[in-house]
Amino acid sequence: MRIAVVREALATDPLPRETRVAATPDSIKRLKALGFEISVESGAGEAANFPDALYVAAGATIAADARENYAAADILLKVRPLRQRDDLDAHEVDLLRVGATVLGFFYPGRNAELLERARARDLTVLAMECVPRISRAQKMDALSSQANIAGYRAVLEAANRFGSFFTGQMTAAGKVPPAKVLVIGAGVAGLAALGTAKGLGAIIRSFDTRAAVREQIESMGGEFLEVTYKEDGDGGGGYAKEMSPAFLEAEYALFRAQAKEVDIVITTALIPGKPAPKLWFKDMVELMKPGSVVVDMAAESGGNCDVTVADEVVVHNGVIVLGFTDLAGRLPTTASNLYGQNLVHLLTDMGGATGWKVDFDDEVVRGATVTHQGAITWPPPAKPAAAPAAPAAKPAAAPVAVAAVAAPEPVKASGGHGHGKVAREHLGSARTAPLTWVSFAILVVAYLGLSTAGTDASGLHHFAQQLTIFVLSCFVGVQVIWSVTPALHTPLMSVTNAISGIIVVGGMLHMHGDLAQPATILALLAVLFATINIGGGFLVTRRMLRMFHK
Amino acid sequence: MHSSAEILGHGPMDVFKGLAWVIAGVLFISSLRGLASQETARRGNGYGIVGMGLAILAMLVAGTKDNIAFLIGALAIGATVGVTMAQRVAMTAMPEMVAILHSFVGLAAVLVGYAAFLAPGHLGVDSAERGEIWLDVLIGAITFTGSIVAFLKLRGSVSGKPLLLPGRHVANLLMFGTSLALVVPFATQPGTEALPFLLAMTLLACILGVHLVAAIGGADMPVVVSMLNSYSGWTAAAAGFMLDNNLLIITGALVGSSGAILSTIMCRAMNRSIWSVIFGGFGADAPSGGTGAKVVGDMTETSIDELTEELRNAKEVIIVPGFGMAAARAQHAVKQLVDLLRKRGVNTRFAIHPVAGRLPGHMNVLLAEASVPYDIVLEMDEINQDFPKTDVVFVVGANDIVNPAAQTDSTSPIYGMPVLEVWKAKRVVVLKRSRGAGYAGVDNPLFVAPSTRMLFKDAKAGMEELVAKLMA
Repeated sequence: MRIAVVREALATDPLPRETRVAATPDSIKRLKALGFEISVESGAGEAANFPDALYVAAGATIAADARENYAAADILLKVRPLRQRDDLDAHEVDLLRVGATVLGFFYPGRNAELLERARARDLTVLAMECVPRISRAQKMDALSSQANIAGYRAVLEAANRFGSFFTGQMTAAGKVPPAKVLVIGAGVAGLAALGTAKGLGAIIRSFDTRAAVREQIESMGGEFLEVTYKEDGDGGGGYAKEMSPAFLEAEYALFRAQAKEVDIVITTALIPGKPAPKLWFKDMVELMKPGSVVVDMAAESGGNCDVTVADEVVVHNGVIVLGFTDLAGRLPTTASNLYGQNLVHLLTDMGGATGWKVDFDDEVVRGATVTHQGAITWPPPAKPAAAPAAPAAKPAAAPVAVAAVAAPEPVKASGGHGHGKVAREHLGSARTAPLTWVSFAILVVAYLGLSTAGTDASGLHHFAQQLTIFVLSCFVGVQVIWSVTPALHTPLMSVTNAISGIIVVGGMLHMHGDLAQPATILALLAVLFATINIGGGFLVTRRMLRMFHK
Repeated sequence: MHSSAEILGHGPMDVFKGLAWVIAGVLFISSLRGLASQETARRGNGYGIVGMGLAILAMLVAGTKDNIAFLIGALAIGATVGVTMAQRVAMTAMPEMVAILHSFVGLAAVLVGYAAFLAPGHLGVDSAERGEIWLDVLIGAITFTGSIVAFLKLRGSVSGKPLLLPGRHVANLLMFGTSLALVVPFATQPGTEALPFLLAMTLLACILGVHLVAAIGGADMPVVVSMLNSYSGWTAAAAGFMLDNNLLIITGALVGSSGAILSTIMCRAMNRSIWSVIFGGFGADAPSGGTGAKVVGDMTETSIDELTEELRNAKEVIIVPGFGMAAARAQHAVKQLVDLLRKRGVNTRFAIHPVAGRLPGHMNVLLAEASVPYDIVLEMDEINQDFPKTDVVFVVGANDIVNPAAQTDSTSPIYGMPVLEVWKAKRVVVLKRSRGAGYAGVDNPLFVAPSTRMLFKDAKAGMEELVAKLMA
């Protein structure tokens, strides 16, 4: 099967132009391994620092003719939604052959016309922002991979405009306090921003309506800000829901208090299907110290801050407000690489070139597919575990904001603390279990001794003495063995092996008398075998112990 | 019952012998005590050697001088054979070595029991002594044949699959009960007339030993080997009662409790009850009756190139070795990898699960053989809390010991077994020979977790490629 990769931006596009590309030399190697042929439009990766030569080296061909590149493709990989190609005088939908497949961001909620157009052309379109947010699909989740980059870049943009250090310093000339960074919304982007700011040495704090993210914020060394009003804002699917007015009042009061203190504010709040909530009001900006920076990562969806203008730097009352919508695209190489990997994982999920299938039983494929075989298949039928419907309120550009996208979390381990406790309980009973064993052994021996010793008083007395020695030795053994380090359990076994060769004494006791007697022969053999144990056990222990070194 | 005076006597030689044995007993205890840490372990082994030498010397000096030439000959031959075996054995073959040594103890105990029975002047009916002979031979025979089967299984000479005969528990009980019943005629019949009962019991015990161990699967061997270790101790103790020899009683009790503790530790680590181990055949019965939730999802494969990159960029790496590393003899290649990473300033450590491998502490010995410093080889309890801040966890030939289902899926057969929480790390790379399930036959949701990458290669070949790539 043939995959086409095309230029995302034209020289005639308004700024900021798309810098990312849907496949990189790295991802092309993997696509080849899946059995695909890849043809790349000349210059497609230039803005992301991938010249044509690198694509060729990775095994792709450079398409001689841009129109032909579309027409010959079975699958088109895109970053941005399908668009008009002014340079080719045609729309991408029409450049593709009927029935082709497209993978890329699509935003069907606000591109109804485009959706209809794709349907009419019988295209199969998988919208990357519609990949369900289930744990299996995390590796295909392009919103998260891009939001992570955007969060990082947001901090760097802020640092670039901020007139001081992030980290505190004691210099000969005097003291510089560390910057205080407030991140509103601890989703993927927010957590990335927190991590980056922490790495630069800032004091970080974060606010999120979902109580569940508290642990994540604190694990990064951040402070989780709380309002006194109790309400959990988990709206499912990794987003926050809209809160009650009373809660919002408390939240705004908290923000006003913070505004006087912090140097950098990064807002990431988004509510799926609606414009971004306003939460950093003009008066809050005015409360901030001059020279402070606000980065509004929701600028694309209308912004979280009253003052924000999309794609512009606004200075209000001395406070710098950044409304960039292309934050991920400002790291074009990494953004393309990760996006390319997301696509590779999705293509792998769909069977690669050999087992290619648009399988509607696959929850991920079903969720992402918006048109298929001449029908619009969006939104997907509601499923309790399925993701939120496409975030329709997001403008066409990059998937920046993603307020409360839960951070990728591997397999949920049910309570680490609980487990530790269980383990300790185990250990407690483990220590007593051998005693049960030993007691059992003692009972057997005692029973045997008493039942066979008969009524001979001195015999009983003698047996009782031996039993005492045996019992005491068992307890000494238990005490001593528990202190053995687990790393030396193998040497422990071999040394006890050697020591149990002490049975050689038993053989030696029976060596008296004529050698021809069966008892003496048997005793001699016993000595032989027991000595193998002694020699072998001690030497092999010595060999092993010699190897242990620091 | 022959009196203790017969053995200990009252002459100066006997006093010397008695003293020597007390000292030997103390030395054996110090020997085990020495294993508490790597620093003192070698000295501990030395104590053991001195103790044993003293005990044998005392016997030679103060014991019977009949057949002394043969006795010394047997000692010399036995020691030579033992030393040769110990020098030749590969560290990966330690489990077999330990198992075969157990069988020698069992065999020696059986022989000593028969010698005591047949010894001139002991053929009169002394029911107490008979009872002790019976006990010594019973445990000795079970240890002997059980260890041989364990040895063959570990060596791969017989299949590691558990042999599960129908009604095996009933058969075991019958055999054990019959053996137990045979003590009555054996203890009461005069002279050689009792011999057939002893022989019959020995035969039954031998079959019982084979059957008990045959019913246990290959990967449950750590438990079995430590259990046999325990039996070999009880055998020696029984011989001590039989011969009225306190040194044997003390030593046997030490070794017996050592094995019992090891078995318990292994059982806990595998989530098995100790009783199911003693009665065998537990490896195949899913304790909870379930098979665990079916794991759905795709494994994501990785390549040597990608892994090299990830390792180069990591700050914290933890390697989790399993039986696959031992089977492929990959420990030296692993050591090279660790050296390369540590040279680059990557904090690389090992996490060892108590039942990784086929013998308690097996992984530690293999890593020590490859001269991995022991202070970077950590136990499960020491390292489990470090996984969340680890960049890359590299699982080499392990499966069940890193299965999150043990904590999350109550229907899983391994539910409740303590496991290494590798899935909390940022990236888990699993080096594995094939896509198959682990020994327990349980699906592992770790393999399809989003942060997990799979590398399907032989442990050694994969490791060597990785090392070559990292050096380049």
